[in-house]
Amino acid sequence: MHYLEVANLTKSFNQTPVFNNISFDISQGEFITLLGPSGCGKSTLLRSLAGLITPDRGQIRVAGEDITWLKPQQRGIGMVFQSYALFPNLTVAGNIAFGLKMQRLDTKDIKRRVAEAVELVGLEGRESYYPASLSGGQRQRVALARALVVRPRILLLDEPLSALDAPIRKHLREQIRAIQQQLKLTTLFVTHDQEEALTLSDRVFVMNKGQIVQADTAEAVYTRPANDFVAGFMGNYNLLTPEQARQLLGLEIQGRLAVRPESIYIREPGRDYGPAMTPPVMASVASHQLLGNVIRYRIRAAGCLLTVDRLNRGADALLPAGSPLELLFDSTELKEVA
Amino acid sequence: MNNSSRAPLPARLTVAGLVLLLATPIVITLIYSLSAQWGAHILPSGFTLDWYLSLWSDSRFLAAFGRSLLVCLAALLFSLLLILPTLFVVFYYFPRLKGVMNMVILLPFAVPPVVSSVGLLQLYAGGPLPLVGGPWILIFCYFTISLPFMYRALANNLEAINLPDLMDAAHLLGACTSRAFLQLVLPNIRNGLLAALFLSFSFLFGEFVFANMLVGTRFETLQVYLYSQRTGSGHFTSAMVMSYFLFIGLATWFALRLQKRSA
Repeated sequence: MHYLEVANLTKSFNQTPVFNNISFDISQGEFITLLGPSGCGKSTLLRSLAGLITPDRGQIRVAGEDITWLKPQQRGIGMVFQSYALFPNLTVAGNIAFGLKMQRLDTKDIKRRVAEAVELVGLEGRESYYPASLSGGQRQRVALARALVVRPRILLLDEPLSALDAPIRKHLREQIRAIQQQLKLTTLFVTHDQEEALTLSDRVFVMNKGQIVQADTAEAVYTRPANDFVAGFMGNYNLLTPEQARQLLGLEIQGRLAVRPESIYIREPGRDYGPAMTPPVMASVASHQLLGNVIRYRIRAAGCLLTVDRLNRGADALLPAGSPLELLFDSTELKEVA
Repeated sequence: MNNSSRAPLPARLTVAGLVLLLATPIVITLIYSLSAQWGAHILPSGFTLDWYLSLWSDSRFLAAFGRSLLVCLAALLFSLLLILPTLFVVFYYFPRLKGVMNMVILLPFAVPPVVSSVGLLQLYAGGPLPLVGGPWILIFCYFTISLPFMYRALANNLEAINLPDLMDAAHLLGACTSRAFLQLVLPNIRNGLLAALFLSFSFLFGEFVFANMLVGTRFETLQVYLYSQRTGSGHFTSAMVMSYFLFIGLATWFALRLQKRSA
């Protein structure tokens, strides 16, 4: 049986639907990412799971219990906000203890559990600090500890890393995943960052315009996008029209052809690419962009401009603009999307 | 960071001139209130605390002081009772009304005191609610005057704490709305609240127009008393002004300190 079941959940604001008939199931201990552009309804969906927004219709069940119309206080769901939402008048320990005090635990238990939570997020020694004197990353770890200490059945994270610098974001992201796996906590993580979604999740729910357009493992969402929206949102897919696909590869398709930049090869003489390759296509370099370990080429071929990624193997291998070359396409990686 | 030690001479002179200009009347009033006599010569002839002693043992002065205190505190209590829940409701449940509130709250400033006091006189002199001449009309009148001060100060504080997320977080951790308000919102706006109270108090304590027009000597407040003493001894009134100044100075200093801490 699934741990969190959402059925036909619908919400609109002033007749404008935010999401419509959303249904999904999540198993206990799963890490799910809701990924989508801003305004796709992912935050609203999260807030209605938390009870901060009342849905118009539908059902939310946790461990078989219908919680659709319960108050947020009664749901046993923890949440971490993008703005941290720490209580400025309370210390780190006071913030973390707040939920336990609301449960009227005795002082000894509160002290012990606060200490555990502080250790879990690595904030030892900061217990008596006020939020104003902490860095962004530390604040978010306090918020995480505060949500975890009450042992929620489900943890919701609403873009918790968006306000942080890149290195801290990366570090905290790994920490969140490690804690989640340690506690085997069912977790929903909202983000608009595809890298975050791919690195963290057991499954990614890609959302667009109030619909879940694809719900699958990170691997599958990345390599087998369900439609052109997912293809466009994940990675840097080349999306070809039927016309372009015919000119370039001689393929007859109805929808659009999605080709990932790393599945197009710049042919090097004497290398065997295996049997899956298409016949070589004549092309020339239009420009390039150095991403670090990868060089991203813009390559002109048969009237279209393609993005092709190639591992950066030193300055000698860099192809200047105008260089003629031959492209090979991995035919198993050519996806037709609706 | 601090440029004051390297400021050129003209800049220092400007500041010194301003301080001198502002301090002179106060210092002279202070000396006058402390001098036994100051008329025949350019310097006072002897110092004394008699004026202060007779002021602080004058029962009429003490009664007026008490009345002013009572009226101001009552007015502030009422405005607190009205403004706190209103602010919370507007900021949490109806944030769209903030713009409307900003305008409405300034209405007490739209009419000059002389005009509105005449209006209030006409309304409350007789009729079903004959309030003129008693403390209540002054309390309610001061209450409306203090609203803008209180509202602005508290609104700034509330803007700074991101109320919706704070309340959501508190709810998810098991707190009900009233508990979250008392334990989380109130402590965070406390300094702003106290600062607003002290500032409004300083302002209301020195109010004269409404007090004189609406109530006058029937419920004599400090300013009305001061006015009635204008023909008496200048030393005596100087002592009164200095006492008043000290009292208000303390309240204002307190308010500014609290404001600084809340910022």
